[in-house]
Amino acid sequence: MRRFLAPLAAMMLGLFATPLLARDLTVVAGGGALQDHMRATLFSTFANGPVVDTAYDYNVGPIRAMVQARNVTWDVVMVEAPDLVRGCEDGIFERIDWSVVNRDKFMPGGATTCGAGAIGWGVSVFYDEARHPTGPANFVEFWDTQRFPGRRSLRRGARMTLEIALMGDGVPAAEVYKVLATPAGQQRAFAALDRLRPNLTFWTGGQQPIELVNSGEVAYAVAFVGRVANGIRAGQRYALRWPTLLYAYDSWAVVRGSANAAAGMQLIEHITNPAPLLALTRLWPINPVNQAVADDPDVRARNPLMMTNHQAGGLEIDTEFWLEHGPDLEQRFAAWLNR
Amino acid sequence: MRRTNWLAALLIAPLLLLILGSFLVPVGLTLFRAVQDREVAQALPETSAILAAWDGQGLPPEAAFAAVARELGAALEARRIGDVAQRMNFARTGMRSTLLRTARAAERLRAPYAASLVALDARWGQAETWLLLRSAGGPVTSLYLLRAMDFTQTPDGGVVQAPTDERLYRTLFLRTFGISLLVTAICVLLAYPVAYTIARLRAPWSSIALTLVLIPFWSSVLVRTTAWFVLLQREGPVNGALLGMGLLEAPAQVIGTRIAVVLALVHVLLPFAILPMHSVMTRLDATYLRAAASLGANGMQRFLRVWLPLSLPGVLAGGAMVFLLAVGMYTAPALVGGDRDQMVAWFIANFLNRDVNWGMAAALSAYLLAMTGAIVALARILTGGMVGARG
Amino acid sequence: MREHPLARILLRGATALVLLFLLAPMVAVVVLSFSPTELMVLPPGGFSLRWYEDFLTAGRWVLATRNSFVVAIATTLLATLLGTMAAIGLQLGRFRGKAVLVTLLTLPMVTPYIVTAAAMFFAYAIIGLTGSLLGLVLAHTVVAVPFVVVAVLATLQTFDANLLRAAASLGAPPMLALLRVMVPNIWPGIAAGAVFAFATSLDEFVITLFMAGPGQFTLPRQMYASVRESLTPTILAAATLLFLCSLLFLLASEVLRLRAARKLRA
Repeated sequence: MRRFLAPLAAMMLGLFATPLLARDLTVVAGGGALQDHMRATLFSTFANGPVVDTAYDYNVGPIRAMVQARNVTWDVVMVEAPDLVRGCEDGIFERIDWSVVNRDKFMPGGATTCGAGAIGWGVSVFYDEARHPTGPANFVEFWDTQRFPGRRSLRRGARMTLEIALMGDGVPAAEVYKVLATPAGQQRAFAALDRLRPNLTFWTGGQQPIELVNSGEVAYAVAFVGRVANGIRAGQRYALRWPTLLYAYDSWAVVRGSANAAAGMQLIEHITNPAPLLALTRLWPINPVNQAVADDPDVRARNPLMMTNHQAGGLEIDTEFWLEHGPDLEQRFAAWLNR
Repeated sequence: MRRTNWLAALLIAPLLLLILGSFLVPVGLTLFRAVQDREVAQALPETSAILAAWDGQGLPPEAAFAAVARELGAALEARRIGDVAQRMNFARTGMRSTLLRTARAAERLRAPYAASLVALDARWGQAETWLLLRSAGGPVTSLYLLRAMDFTQTPDGGVVQAPTDERLYRTLFLRTFGISLLVTAICVLLAYPVAYTIARLRAPWSSIALTLVLIPFWSSVLVRTTAWFVLLQREGPVNGALLGMGLLEAPAQVIGTRIAVVLALVHVLLPFAILPMHSVMTRLDATYLRAAASLGANGMQRFLRVWLPLSLPGVLAGGAMVFLLAVGMYTAPALVGGDRDQMVAWFIANFLNRDVNWGMAAALSAYLLAMTGAIVALARILTGGMVGARG
Repeated sequence: MREHPLARILLRGATALVLLFLLAPMVAVVVLSFSPTELMVLPPGGFSLRWYEDFLTAGRWVLATRNSFVVAIATTLLATLLGTMAAIGLQLGRFRGKAVLVTLLTLPMVTPYIVTAAAMFFAYAIIGLTGSLLGLVLAHTVVAVPFVVVAVLATLQTFDANLLRAAASLGAPPMLALLRVMVPNIWPGIAAGAVFAFATSLDEFVITLFMAGPGQFTLPRQMYASVRESLTPTILAAATLLFLCSLLFLLASEVLRLRAARKLRA
């Protein structure tokens, strides 16, 4: 028995001890090829000690549980705007130390109480010109199945889809959120979705719309522009319709109660600086929230597919709208899907 | 004897403690979470106390306006405002912006607060807002349990059905129940002849056939679901084979349909139906059958009158097992199901991980637990009745 | 009881079809994992180990494998120890309410995993075990231990209690008697329970999805994430390796079953 117990006890002690040991600074982002590039250009160039990075799927439940449990194992995390705002209100994220992070380098709105702007992302209509020489240039045409027959694909979920539905019904981008805040506007959005539904396929993972368009299952899809841009760079003949862009910014935040909070702030200062970001733009058409990098004519010229070049005509996704109407509209969307 | 019992207790205690602490108490806690209501009372204690004493007629006293302004400001400063904003916004969409606007303006607001709050946000002038705040004062609420069955509460405490275009969860439970029942029925129907045949095969064929059932039984659920995900792809092997044989003209879209979900679930759960049936059938006493034969019963009669009733406990055990596992299944619908095929587990996971609405996650879990509890109890009663009949 | 010859043919044919349905997907996965291209078609048109090479050189798959085995080994040790002790206690004890106790200890077996997962998510957040390997091991132990209890209880039915009395009459203290007399006699049951516990932990996905922190990807979790992201044959290589593990479990459990049967006859 003793022979059996000794290793067991040692193992249990080892498991207990793990969180007590000093932990390397841990940064968590969305994974994939982008994170591989961020590791090469952003994290590995941080001078003050090693950085470990892991991926998550933007689910903030575990972050809350970890803060509540006072067992914080993530330090710096890339979060979506609504999660940043709510997490800040609830004390899930530390306030950014603006004496360490230079506030002035960010684009307007890029520096908030708990978040420092990381990169922008967006979705817009794209299709394969090898299969379809022409395609919808705006959402009204996206809804026009007479002129452009074939299946369409949108993300499964209310956010972005309802805005798109209203624009497909002719609401100008500037008025989308005003209309969508009213019961009549919500009705209108779902009615528009009803019309398109026979031709609609919903996707859940970011690579799916690309695969759907590649296989010809879907003629026109709304997809993450970064993934479409990478396809184009890899030689695909995608048409990307920039006027249909919907975009938002992700931010870097420090998880509250992190033992490495101070180092985390320094890391955020480093990874939002021009030098590492410029290195990153050479590998990936990102949309930095650093004003100088976004304005850099060289970067713009080198990355014609960078969102920064095209976002003037796009619609910025309204964080506060979705915090308020999200629970209600997401449930209605799920109910609509089931009908 | 007493010493033996002490020893026995000592041996059982560690596991009992683990199960208690790591399973029974957490499950109890989850059930409690489904009715717990503490966000408002925690963030706005004084407001809650004043509203609890308020008669609910017209608007509350000035003290309530003053308290809510001060406490919302403090909650914003102490970074506790998000939970209370979400709780109230879940009860009535739009409350979030009212509460946050008030919290941000709290320092600028001056007495009389009733007037300055209404000037800031008209919602404070509506009795409904205050009734909602009062009903959220805790310590318990039926909000989540009602919502999880598509009911809502009116400010005066009445219960009404949710608007048609917001009803979701009753359909969801019915669907979960329906898919599980269908999968159970298919599994039982497929498993019975297999278990019967294997039980009556001669060695070594019986062992070989049983091993072939045990192989999928021992392999990972995720591996098997992934296998179906691969096989059913549009460019996948199943479509390829069917196209090659000329049975299909164009590749069929199976992923994302109910068929794919049922197929994957049946495949994953079938061994759980075969094995209990087989174990009951191999232990069936052949003397009964011989006795029936000597009394002149023909093959069909012997099967229907003797074999079938005696093997029913195995059928029930297998069926119950399949149903229990199907009802809580997350992986298969998430991987191969489509928009209309997600089951309760998917929504629980979403509320826990993504939406961070733990009250709804707990309420859905509570109903799912009640559903499985009923199934286990039913299976117990049925098997108990049968054992009694046999004895 | 003899069936009509036609009925027998039909039954055997149906059985063969069902067994084919059960096994064909696994065989397809194994074959496709050796595909030389990204295309997953049958027949694969070649043989290559490139996806296994990819599996073994990709950091995340290796890490997930390591995590899976660390957690599974710890779970097996803990579940086997606690489960065997409890089963022996249940067999020895002479008190009322034993049936209730057995039900309590095996309750995790009949509770939907998603409910167990949600419950543990809430509870572990309070006591600070979320995102720790210890928390994951405890969670897996809870769902694996009923199988140990059941397996050991089953072999205990065949154990001759007189042996314990004989040991006691020779002056052996109860603990020593249990260890020296009982455990050697029931070890096939214990080992079978251990195999089952290991397999349960290695397979478990839903609880891990909620409990595990970053860098604690287990094989099933990594597989799920990869399938959701983009389907590559590397996933099939991982699936084939897990499938190989399950064949080993099956082999182990069969060997143990035969040993137990032989012991019973002796």
